[in-house]
Amino acid sequence: MDLVQLAAGKTFSSSAVFLLLTVLLLAAARRVSTAIILFSLQSAIITAQVMATAYTEKSAEAWVVAAMVFALKVVAIPSALLWLVERLKSPRAIQPSISSAKAVFVAALMILLSYTVVQPYARESRVPEDALAAAVALILTGAFLMVSQRKAIMQIVGLLVLENGIFLAALTTTFGMPLVIEIGVFFDLLMGIFIMGVFAFRIRDTFEHLDVTKLRRLRG
Amino acid sequence: MMLLLPLLIPLVGAAVLLGFGTNGRARLLALVVGGVEIVAVLRVVLAVYSSGPVRFGRYLRADELSAFFLLNVALISGLVLVYSLDYLRHVEGERFSSARWFHAFLFFFVFTMVGVCLSSNLGLLWIMMEATTLASALLVGFYNTRGAVEAGWKYLIVCTVGIAFALFGTIVLYLAAIKSGLSPETALDWTALMAAFPRLGSDIPLLKLAFVFVVVGYGTKVGFVPMHSWLPDAHAEAPSPISALLSGVLLNCAMYTLLRYDAIISRATGTNFSHTLLLVFGVLSVVVAGLLIVVQRDLKRLLAYSSIEHMGIVAIGVGLGGTLGLYGALLHTFNHSIGKTLLFFAAGNVRQNFGTLRMDRIGGLARSLPKTALALALGSVAIVGLPPFSLFVSEFAILSEAFAQSRLLVATLFLVTLSVVFGGMLHHLFGMFFRESKRSPAATHMALSEAVPIAIAAAGLVWFGVHIPAGFKALIDRAIAVL
Repeated sequence: MDLVQLAAGKTFSSSAVFLLLTVLLLAAARRVSTAIILFSLQSAIITAQVMATAYTEKSAEAWVVAAMVFALKVVAIPSALLWLVERLKSPRAIQPSISSAKAVFVAALMILLSYTVVQPYARESRVPEDALAAAVALILTGAFLMVSQRKAIMQIVGLLVLENGIFLAALTTTFGMPLVIEIGVFFDLLMGIFIMGVFAFRIRDTFEHLDVTKLRRLRG
Repeated sequence: MMLLLPLLIPLVGAAVLLGFGTNGRARLLALVVGGVEIVAVLRVVLAVYSSGPVRFGRYLRADELSAFFLLNVALISGLVLVYSLDYLRHVEGERFSSARWFHAFLFFFVFTMVGVCLSSNLGLLWIMMEATTLASALLVGFYNTRGAVEAGWKYLIVCTVGIAFALFGTIVLYLAAIKSGLSPETALDWTALMAAFPRLGSDIPLLKLAFVFVVVGYGTKVGFVPMHSWLPDAHAEAPSPISALLSGVLLNCAMYTLLRYDAIISRATGTNFSHTLLLVFGVLSVVVAGLLIVVQRDLKRLLAYSSIEHMGIVAIGVGLGGTLGLYGALLHTFNHSIGKTLLFFAAGNVRQNFGTLRMDRIGGLARSLPKTALALALGSVAIVGLPPFSLFVSEFAILSEAFAQSRLLVATLFLVTLSVVFGGMLHHLFGMFFRESKRSPAATHMALSEAVPIAIAAAGLVWFGVHIPAGFKALIDRAIAVL
């Protein structure tokens, strides 16, 4: 058997483990910049998975998608976010509403939950179980990060993790959506980050802090 | 090519505004571009009605249903454009918050909503729906006050997460389509999915899963309870013309996407599942929003909750189905958008002259601002569904369908809430109109560019209440035939 073929196959199944690792580390992260770098790492793993898919499925479109994931999610967006953190000069330590230990525990529970949810489906339709479980785990932890973190930038990171999960789910079940649609989704993501960045500055300027839990004037 | 123009014109307009326009010239420029855009959209509507669906390339298509909603987009955007000409006179130029940026974002917003109506591919539909949020977030935060920034951030985050669920739903539907043998190019195409219903029904659990995610996702943008938390804040903090656009057009566009999905899913799995889901969200939204209307203190928050209630009514109409239910639902989206535009314009005038929207601080409107008070009264009487105004007609149609299907629980909840809302609205309005007020308005100004759109909207409410033109009726009937 072709060695590259073998490597591609292994990448797909083993990368799920690394993805779950980033999930746990993200839950434990104490600094915004750490979380951003973890997101970049996570996207790098997903890039490897897209490349493995591109190789095994012999799809030229998937190579383009891999290049886009790398350029946007591994390089551009994390650098932009790091620049934002620098410019906003917010104190870097995150003050999450729950402790790291509890957060890691919740993340672990979510991974377990993901496995139980996808198991029946994965068996029936020969989809790699680990990858699909990792996708669901990413969606859940992304949502969890958004509700448990106070910093505006951490909410952005949560959203990006959630989006990574949806992307991975599409990749494992259908080898991704048509290229034009993927490009559109990436474009929306980029614009979204830009608008959120504008708002991060505005929150800082009007409230003099980035703690979204202090945004409590509007209720009901 | 005809379909491309309504998408290109607002983009070019926005680029010109940002590139060459000054804040002084921005209004004139916006009026010209807006006029051309409306003509381009109406051309598509006419073409569809005279010679059937129009297609451009693989991703753009307009049929009778899109044409009906395009008409809505064109009409309300036109009114909003005229109304905002004078409304922005007090705005100083700030980055992202000047007249130039306002109109540029307005055009981006119109571009995305026209794009929603013209997408034939469900993936493109998602991209456009997400883009509506991005284009309007800075408009919601336009005033740059604490409240506006908070509302904008909340809007951005809540809707983006909601829409992410819709993307997941779209992917699940794509998976189901691929499994039933459609090619990757056509698996997200609406016409192909509608044509593929016997095969598509082979994996019913997957289709149901897709619909649940889609309803939760796009339902966030429609403002269904309990995903509605962004809506009152965004509507209350945005400049009034933008509130009108959000309530009158954006919510309808989100409802339009649900109509498209509902058609696919009910054709493949039977109407039972998808319609029940819409009915549940509809009744929940009507009841919860109806009760919350009573306790509101801010005029625009009151109107926002009323929008949630009315979107609930539309969802009930779609959920009941049947010719009368769907007819009522479509007619109601149109009537509601005109009524709510009128009300938000009137609220804008109140705000500009009183400097506040707190209803307990506003009094004696009937004497100090008679024209605005008249518009507010007319709009409110129409929006609570009294005859002879147009919303009565559509609510009556939906209610008749409920009785015809002997859904007594739905009908009862619907009627009880409507009477509660009626009482609540009247109570708030009477206070503002006739209460002795300690403060009088700082100004009693109403520009011609504000009076004309208000008069047009008011005339529309009365006209469609007394008599629905036969041509318009045919429009709705043909839109229903598409589903």
